[in-house]
Order: sequence, then structure tokens, then C-alpha cells
Amino acid sequence: MIKLTKINKIFADKHQSFHCLKDIDLTINQGEFTVIAGPSGSGKSTLLNIMGMLDKPTSGNYQFDDNDVAKFSSNKLADIRRDKIGFVFQAYNLMPVLTALENTEMIMEFSGVSKKERKQRAIETLEAVGLGEFKNRFPAQLSGGQQQRVAVARAIAAKPLLVIADEPTANLDSQSTESLLDLMVSLNEKLGITFIFSSHDPRVIERAHRVIHLQDGKVMRDEQLENVTAGQPQAAMSS
Amino acid sequence: MIHKLALRNLLRNKRRSSLTSVIIVFAFSMMILFMGLSDGGHKAMIDIGVRMGLGHIIVQHDSYSDDPALQHLIAKPEQVIEQITQQYPTLTAVTRLRVDALIQAGRHGVALTISGVQPNKENQVSAIADQKAIIAGQTLPQFSQDQQMQRLGGIVIGETLAKNLEVRIGDTVTITAKPASGADLARSAFMVAGIFKTGLHEIDTFWAEVPLTSLQTLLEVPNSASQIALYSQANPETLAAITQQLTTALSDYDVQPWQTAAPELYSAVTLDAAGMYLLMLIVYVVVAVGILNTVLMSTFRRQKEFGMMIALGSRASTVSKVVLLEAVYLSAFSLSIGLALGLWGHYHFATEGLNFKEVFGTAMEAGGVLLPEKFYSILDTSKLTLSVLFVFLLTIIVTLIPAIRAGHRSPLAATQDA
Ligand SMILES: Nc1ncnc2c1ncn2[C@@H]1O[C@H](COP(=O)(O)OP(=O)(O)O)[C@@H](O)[C@H]1O
Ligand SMILES: [Mg+2]
Repeated sequence: MIKLTKINKIFADKHQSFHCLKDIDLTINQGEFTVIAGPSGSGKSTLLNIMGMLDKPTSGNYQFDDNDVAKFSSNKLADIRRDKIGFVFQAYNLMPVLTALENTEMIMEFSGVSKKERKQRAIETLEAVGLGEFKNRFPAQLSGGQQQRVAVARAIAAKPLLVIADEPTANLDSQSTESLLDLMVSLNEKLGITFIFSSHDPRVIERAHRVIHLQDGKVMRDEQLENVTAGQPQAAMSS
Repeated sequence: MIHKLALRNLLRNKRRSSLTSVIIVFAFSMMILFMGLSDGGHKAMIDIGVRMGLGHIIVQHDSYSDDPALQHLIAKPEQVIEQITQQYPTLTAVTRLRVDALIQAGRHGVALTISGVQPNKENQVSAIADQKAIIAGQTLPQFSQDQQMQRLGGIVIGETLAKNLEVRIGDTVTITAKPASGADLARSAFMVAGIFKTGLHEIDTFWAEVPLTSLQTLLEVPNSASQIALYSQANPETLAAITQQLTTALSDYDVQPWQTAAPELYSAVTLDAAGMYLLMLIVYVVVAVGILNTVLMSTFRRQKEFGMMIALGSRASTVSKVVLLEAVYLSAFSLSIGLALGLWGHYHFATEGLNFKEVFGTAMEAGGVLLPEKFYSILDTSKLTLSVLFVFLLTIIVTLIPAIRAGHRSPLAATQDA
């Protein structure tokens, strides 16, 4: 699904330049539950942003579903993000003027899902993340953990192929962290949705199937863990 | 959804939105009010102006403008009038004979303009010596009713002139002028029938009216006139068209619209209209700046939100639409209320009228032009519609750039801390 070849990212301004990602080669298959681990500043967010098509690499090749991402226009990229990728950002990032339900529905509306269907899916998803009764609240009326769960609901309601989450548990207490992880693992197992996380939280890392260790912009280690339970993602998707 | 986003974002900062709204409502309703009063005032100014010995259209001998001599009169004016009224039965026509003369009473003498008028007709169109303007004595038609008892013809003169001549109703004055034969000066006595007050200094001091036939006899120009004045109820556009057609039809004569015949009145009206356009411009700027300011302030703090929408897959155009809709809603709302308020004010002044005398005291004359005592608001609907549309368009234009910029936020903005 994702194939990165010799990806480099250099941040440069007038005074200095910073080589953030160095010759990253990486393949991520459908149905994987992968964590990018590494200390702060190692380039995790930068890598996720590139994989999520929010940012462009300085050099290297990015194939998404066998297509060269560099060739896509910004509208095409937006359409791919809308239809295939769900995002969970570190700082919740909900629309403050929309309720939990409306936040969850928003992307589906932009992709043309009918009003009835998107509402039903949004309610189902909010119930799945345990927020059924909070669906008409605005973000400001929800706790941090609840907001992050709305963000997850928003990311998965449209049934994307891939969910990218940048330190989704960084601002959560351990109970919220556990329930969020349970939710993601079950989505991965039931629907075969591919998850790519960044985290340096051991509780997150231990639930992953694959851990990619990043340090100073380089892949230090790429571990396949034993507890691979993703089953048959293709079959799950088509069911 | 984008409508919901736009509306809720407006409500998010109620204070800012309502402040902008109040400013637009105020500016716009004021503009409508002034538009109505200004057009109404102009109409009243013209209405009263053409009644000061003028007319909507003046027909003269071709050379009269260059040389207002007795050789340059319209002969048989009745025939010309018949030709005109056959084509335009709605026009009211009066015949006048004008001459510079000397008026004397006792040891006083004043040079002035004598206007020979058809008393019964002139009464219907002129505001110089009609019943309302007469402050003492009678109008010419009233006087001639009682003529059997009088040996002399009647004359009506201005208030200031009466004071200067030290004459009263019933006194005798002598008019001296050069007749057409060019021989000796002709002289005739008249009895002061009435004293008028128009408020125009020039007219109140240097103007007198006598019956047309008396003046024709004195000047030895039977059946001749200096001018035929035409009055009309038509709107300015129709009037201009009629003037145009008359110019062609009466090619032997000089046909002047009031704008040419009374340039000082015309320039007073246009100067005032220019002030109105300046006011409109100010209103447009206020609305544009108000909307732009609101949009800039509200988008400035939402860069991350726009980035997030794009990160999640919104098209740039969707984000731009949200910003545009905010401005459209704000301006549509404010303009509707402003329109309602403005129309309400207009309705008040259109029915009750604005009494100039009450508001501004009695300063009735400005630069030789008589200001109306009271006038009624008139709204030109096409002008109003145009300005509503224009303001609306302006809203969209000033919002376009911030809206496009919001749509082109980098999706990376979503990942950065606020
Ligand atoms: N837009 C940017 N401009 C300059 N430097 C950046 C930018 N974004 C990230 N960096 C730098 O790149 C490095 C990696 O950042 P990041 O990918 O956020 O790491 P992580 O998510 O692992 O903490 C950091 O040193 C950071 O300062
Ligand atoms: Mg990071």
C-alpha cells in the first residue's frame, strides 16, 4: 500500500538547513498495525506527514497503491486523503463550531455520502468509541480523552484504507489510552484498516504488530512482532 | 455543512459580527434615507425653480438668447402653442413678454424686468404672483375681475421693490420702456394690485408682472412674445425626450430645457447630486472595510482550522466557500435590516415630508436658487436596486482574496500547535 524509496526531508531556511529524514526505505502493507517509535525529534511526525500526503519529501519516491504521489495535484491529494486516509492528530483538532456528530460527518459530506447514510455511520462510529450519548456536544464541552475519541471516530467513520495517527495518546490518561487502543486494534482486526502510529509510549508499542524504530531521521530497526493477528485483511475489507 | 460552518463561525464572535452588522445597517439605511431626501429635495428645487418665471422648456425666437431685442420676438405665439399642444396635449403653455424698464413712483425710480403675462394662465404655473406668494392685495386675475371700477391696469411687484418705491396697494406707478418703433420712450401708468414675496431676492426686488396685452400695447408689439414657457408633469427622462423632439419639430425656434435656461439651478442640483454620490462612495467604503476587517480577523485565528479541513480532504474551494459564505451572510443580513430601516425612514419622509423651514429656520435662498420649504422623499428604485447589488458584490470582491488564501492553507497547519 505504501512504498517509500530513499525518502529525504531537509528543512531549510535562509540561515540553516536540517536534514530530518535520511534515505528512508519502507514498505507498509494493507492490514498492518504499525508503530513508528523513536525519541522526540527523531522525525516521526515528519515521516507521518509525508505518508499522509500533508507534506512532500525533498527527494525520493513515494508510491501509494502503486501510484506515484509526486504526480498528483493538490486537489487530487485532497481527494485521496478524503477517501482513503483517516487522520488523528496529536492535538485533537476538531472543528470547534461543530458538534461531535457533525465533526464525524463532515468528511463524509465532502465525499458525497448521502445525508441519511453519513448520519447513521457517524452515530454508529461514535457509539463504537463510547460517545453515543455525547454526540450533540461541542468539542469545548468534552474532555481531552473524549475529544480524541471523536477525532478517531471522524478518522474511521468514512471507512478509510489507512489511519495515520501522530501520538494519539500523548495527551490521554492511561484509561483513555487503553480504551482507544482497544478500539483501534479491534477496527484493525475486524475491518482490516491499516494503522500507522507514531509513539514513544510503551503501552502503545506493545500492542503493535510491527515497530519501526527511528533515530536521527534513520530507520534503526524494523521489528515484526509475534502477535500478528491481523488475519486476512483483504477478506475483511470485502466483507 | 458549509452553511452551518459559516453561520456558526459568525456567531462564534457575536460581538465582532454584530458590531460590523450595526455599522453596515447604519451606513446603508442612512444612504437610503439621504438618497430619497436628496432626490426629493432636487425635485422640489426644480419644481419651485421652474415656477420662478421659468418653465420646463422655453421656446424663444432663434436670436433672442443672443440679443433679447423687440425685433427678436415670437410672432403669433398662439399658432406655435397650437402646434406644440397638438403633439403634446399634456403640456401647459404660457406666453410671456419681457422687457427691461424703469418703474417710478414719486421721487423713486428702479430699473427692473417687467414680465407681461396671461394672468389666468400664468396663475396656474407660476409661483411668483400666485395666491400663495401674494402677501398684500390681489393677484392679477383677481384684480382684472374688479377692473370695471379701475381706470388703470394692474401690476404686481415684489415686497422689497414696494418698500424701495415706498408704494402700497392702490398706489400708481409709472413704467417707462423703449417701444419697438424705437422712437420716443413709451410710458404707462399702472395701479399696484398686489405685492408678492417669493424669498428670491432678485425677484422680490427687480421684478414686476403686468397683463400681457398691456405690455404689448405699451411696446407696440401686438400679438408677439419673448417666450413660450412649457410646463410638464412628466419625469426627467420623458421631459428630455420631449425637449429633444420639440427641438426638431420647432427648428425655426430656440428650444431650451430648463437646465440650459437656468444654469444656476441646474448646477445647484448637480452639485448637490455630486455630494450624494460622495456619500454613497463613503458608504461603500464603510461596508467594504467593515466586511474585510471582520473576515480578516476571523480568518486570522482560524489558519489551523483551514489547514485541518484541507488535511482531512476538503477541496480548497470548499474552504474558500465557507469564508465567502460568512461574508455573504453577514452582509445579506445587515443589508436587509439596513434596507428595511432605510425604507421605513423613506416612507416617513415620503408621506409626512421634511419641513425645511422647521429644521433649518428660514434661510430659503442659496446662490440664487430657491430652496423648497417642504419636500418629500423620492426613491429611485433602479438606483436603489443597483446600490444594493453593488454593495453585495463589493462584499464578495473584498472577501475573495482572504477566502482564496484560506483555501490554500497548507494541510501541515493542522499538525502544528496553535
Ligand atoms: N517545518 C519545520 N522546519 C524546520 N525544522 C523542522 C520542521 N518540522 C520539523 N522540524 C525538525 O525536524 C526534526 C524532527 O521533527 P519531528 O518530525 O516533529 O520529530 P518527532 O515527531 O519525532 O518529534 C525536529 O528536530 C524538528 O525541529
Ligand atoms: Mg512529533
